[in-house]
Amino acid sequence: MSAHTDKATQWIYHGLWSVLVQWFRVPDKPPTLPTVGDDVAESFRPAEGFLRYMKFRFWIALLIIDIAIMGGWLIGTIALWRNDLLWVGLLLLPPVLIIAIVPDIIAFVAIHLRYDTTWYVMTGRSLRIRRGVWTIQETTISFENVQNVKVHSGPLQRYYGIANLEVETAGSGGSAGSSQQKGMSNANRGIIEGVTNALELRDKILARLRQSQSAGLGDEPDEELQKNRIGWTPAHLQMLGKIRQTLAHWRAEAASQ
Amino acid sequence: MDQTQDVQTEDSAFDPASITRPDPALLNYYTIVAICTLVGFPFVFLPLYFKYHTLKYKFDDKGVSMSWGILFRKEIYLTYRRIQDIHVTRNFIQRWLGLAQVSVQTASGSAGAEMTIEGIRNPELLRNFLYQQMRGVKESVDEEGEADAGEGNSDEALKLLREIHGELCALRQSWETSP
Repeated sequence: MSAHTDKATQWIYHGLWSVLVQWFRVPDKPPTLPTVGDDVAESFRPAEGFLRYMKFRFWIALLIIDIAIMGGWLIGTIALWRNDLLWVGLLLLPPVLIIAIVPDIIAFVAIHLRYDTTWYVMTGRSLRIRRGVWTIQETTISFENVQNVKVHSGPLQRYYGIANLEVETAGSGGSAGSSQQKGMSNANRGIIEGVTNALELRDKILARLRQSQSAGLGDEPDEELQKNRIGWTPAHLQMLGKIRQTLAHWRAEAASQ
Repeated sequence: MDQTQDVQTEDSAFDPASITRPDPALLNYYTIVAICTLVGFPFVFLPLYFKYHTLKYKFDDKGVSMSWGILFRKEIYLTYRRIQDIHVTRNFIQRWLGLAQVSVQTASGSAGAEMTIEGIRNPELLRNFLYQQMRGVKESVDEEGEADAGEGNSDEALKLLREIHGELCALRQSWETSP
C-alpha cells in the first residue's frame, strides 16, 4: 500500500518537475563554473538532513497553525450552537478545512522544490550558489574577495548533523539579522545551507584565501614589489647546499692534515 | 529552436563592447511588470518606459558604465577589478523572455547592488566575461609563476651564490696545491 502511494507521489512529483522545467523554464541541470587548467568544479547540494530539518520545522508549524484554526472553528461552532445556529457552524467546516489543509500541501511541495533547486558549485577560484524556484538567484563569489567565513548551526540543525556556512565579502549587504528572513540572497554574502561538512568546506575556503597574496580591494598587483621580493627557490637552496658541502670538505681535510 | 540559437550565439565570440543598448525584450518585460500592478500601470510604466529608452551601456577594457534618465540623469561607472560578487537573478517572466538581471556588487556601504544590468540577451556569457575580469583570475597567477621559473637562470641572487661557490672551489684548490 505504502509502496503504491510512494510511487504515486513520485510520479506526481516528476510530473510537477517536468512542468516546471518546460513551462516555468526552471533549469534542470546544475550550474557550472568556468575552470582553468586542471581545476575541477565540484557541485553539491544540501545534505539529506537539511530536507528532514525543513520538514520537521514544517510539521511543527503545521501543528500549531492547524490547531489554532480548528480550535477557532470549534469555539465558533459551540458559540453558534448555543444560539441554535449549529448549521452555520457545520456549513463553515469545509472552507475551514480547505484553509487548514491547502497551504500545507503547497508548503510541503515547496520544501521539496527548494531542496531540489539548491545547488552549490565550488572551484579553486570561486563559489557559485543557485537557489530559488520562482525567482532563480545565482551568486558568484571569488575567494579572492572573501573577507570572513562563518559557520553556525542551531540545536535542531545539530541534531540533524547539518550547518550553515556563510561566506562574506567586503561591503555591508544589509544587516545580519535580516539575512535569515530575506531569502538568503543578500548582497555581499553567500550562504551554503544545510551541509554536513561545513567545517571541512570552511577550511578549504580559508586555505584558498591564504593563497591569495593581494590584500587590497581590487588594486592592481604591485609589480615592483613582486619583482623585488626575495624568496628562496629550490635552485638557491641547492647552491647554498653545495657551498656548505665544499666548506665541510675543506674543514675535514684541514683537520686531518 | 531556442537551443540552436543558443549554440549559435555561444559559438560566435561574445563581445561585450558591442552591447550599448538593452534588448528590446526588456520593454516587454517592463510592460508586463507594469500590467501586474493593475491600477498603478501608468505610474509604474512611464518611468520604466523612459528608463528603457535612455538606458545605455558601455563596456570598455577596464570597466563598465551604465546611464539612464531624462529629468534626473544617472550614470554609474565601475571597474571590473573592484567587483566583489556577481548575482544573476531571473524570475519566471524574465526566463520566458530570455532575459536576466545581472547585479554587480562592490565593497561600498550601500545595501543594494551597485549596478544592475538589465535586458541582456546572454546573461551567462556576460557573467563569464565579468567573472574573467574579476580579481583572482587563475591565468594571470600562472603566467607570473612561469615568468618566475623562466627568470631562474638570470636570477641575481642565484648568480651571486654560483660565483661564491666557484670562488670557494678555486680557493680550496689553490690552498691544496700550495701547502
